[in-house]
Amino acid sequence: MKFGLFYELSVPRPWTRDSERIVYENALEQVKLADELGFDQVWAVEHHFLEEYSHCPAPDLFLTACAMITRRIRVGHGIIVCVPEFNHPIKIAERTAVLDILSGGRLEVGTGRSATWTELGGFNANPDTTKKTWDEFVRCLPRMWTSDRFAYDGEFWSMPSRAIIPRVYQKPHPPLWVAVTTPGTELDAADRGLGSLGLTFGQFAEQEKRIAEYRRRIQLCTPVGEFVNDQVNTVNFLYCDEDDARGVATGRRMADTFNYLASQLISAREAYPSKSYQSLGLLPQLRRQATGPDANAQGGEGLCMGGPARITAALKRWESVGVDRVNFLLNTLEAIPQADVLASLKLFAREVMPAFAAGKG
Amino acid sequence: MPLFGALDLAEVAARLPAVRDLDTEAWTLPQAEILQLAWEVNDDTQVLLPKAMHPAIPPYATIVVTRYPESPVGMFALAQLRLMGRAGAHPRGYVLGAVASTTAAASALRERWGFPVEVGDVTLVRYHDRVIARVRLDGEPVLEAALVDPEPIAGGDVQYIHTVTLAAVDGQPQLVQVDPHYTVHKAERGRPRLERLTTPRWHASGLGFTTPIAATVTTCDTDFPRIRFVMDPEIPVVRGTRRIR
Repeated sequence: MKFGLFYELSVPRPWTRDSERIVYENALEQVKLADELGFDQVWAVEHHFLEEYSHCPAPDLFLTACAMITRRIRVGHGIIVCVPEFNHPIKIAERTAVLDILSGGRLEVGTGRSATWTELGGFNANPDTTKKTWDEFVRCLPRMWTSDRFAYDGEFWSMPSRAIIPRVYQKPHPPLWVAVTTPGTELDAADRGLGSLGLTFGQFAEQEKRIAEYRRRIQLCTPVGEFVNDQVNTVNFLYCDEDDARGVATGRRMADTFNYLASQLISAREAYPSKSYQSLGLLPQLRRQATGPDANAQGGEGLCMGGPARITAALKRWESVGVDRVNFLLNTLEAIPQADVLASLKLFAREVMPAFAAGKG
Repeated sequence: MPLFGALDLAEVAARLPAVRDLDTEAWTLPQAEILQLAWEVNDDTQVLLPKAMHPAIPPYATIVVTRYPESPVGMFALAQLRLMGRAGAHPRGYVLGAVASTTAAASALRERWGFPVEVGDVTLVRYHDRVIARVRLDGEPVLEAALVDPEPIAGGDVQYIHTVTLAAVDGQPQLVQVDPHYTVHKAERGRPRLERLTTPRWHASGLGFTTPIAATVTTCDTDFPRIRFVMDPEIPVVRGTRRIR
């Protein structure tokens, strides 16, 4: 099992001139430490207009900074919103190639389509067509990275023959992933030979079922890229403390804050009824965790907060249900002091990671 | 933490509906026809939202006009203007103003669920390419809005957001949660179009509709349920919610 970091870059009010700079600088310090400690990857989301929840509209810039201060950790650009009003596919191919070059071939690319009216409405995008545009984008991207010249005439975008430069540094190209929040999207990932970038927290039984179906389905896939990425990546919270009770309490505070913030977003379906967004996705689960019967469960099922033993047990369980990688959210609204976040990372690396080193069962 | 509403209770206290008690009986409302129109609204609408609630990001409002062919007080129609927000982690529509088509319905809605409702003319007219809602108060038109170019969608695609009203309960201002059930038999979606909205008559001075979002019209079985929660309008609902049943 591999471990990584996952950034939404939430910024608490009141906003001062330095609020965002502090959040970004703290994140970069965490990434630099994580690289030294042996974490495998750092992911950054693309979000727009999501006040306090995520001030991360340009993850490629943040990840470039990450790449410049690290040596080994892979940089996960994801998810990129594959909707033309947000990102033109040519620009996606070009910018990801530059990031792959600058990082020395450490790029991972996550794809998705946005799930909030706040963002879709902000870009005047049509929620009815985002699944289709995502599908077009992910089928084009590997060919744009690898063809000498590329031409395309699709339903949502077209281009005459051009050389899309620069080329990606990795051969044949960076691994591709799909953000999976709503049930069924893991099957879209599997059918295309794409990695499952899970963005839900907790719930072993549900995840185990979905992962098993993903594993079965991907064996029959027609890959959109030049190789099949059959890995399952999930997110989790991380707060590791020698004192288990204190670790649970601190982690719970972070998780509750995150879930409360997430619940403030306007899901696409809340405002704009569409078969394209039949499920409410991540938000109802987070609302339930923020205010429902799960809210007071100590630590929450499968959440990585508490002492090293508790966290090791949770991750062993995730490993047993088929998860290959876990990315951790380290803070929300800077609720945890930076020194404590760094200490948590160090303790995790010292006490938990060895149990998951290659060859350990 | 998210922003909060900034409604000055003193400005609205005198006109709050008085809820008779919190032991309201449920109403079953079969075959209701519900027109819902959603727009983003101007940013400075926090003054219309109780301090217990968070404004939506971005702020938006819904006009909901419903024809109830059967109810304990007979057939009636109800028009509501709701400013959407969050009660804690939950999306809710705060009722700014409402108009019912019969005196019996208006009285019951004020006394049982705390709707700030007046009596007026409420009509819902279907044409081949649109569904038009019109509301008149004291003979004056105060709303004309429509769903344009309806197209069928699945009933399951429509998510109705629960309502909260601000009323006097035992003499004290309280937010009352009204959380109906919906069984949708037929649903269509179109574009919202606003021809007229006299905001002062809806207790919504300063509210401006900016960007259309979506419009739906459904036929469904619904209800006005027993009251389950009331909330202190002045403090965050995570601290100020009282479960009734």
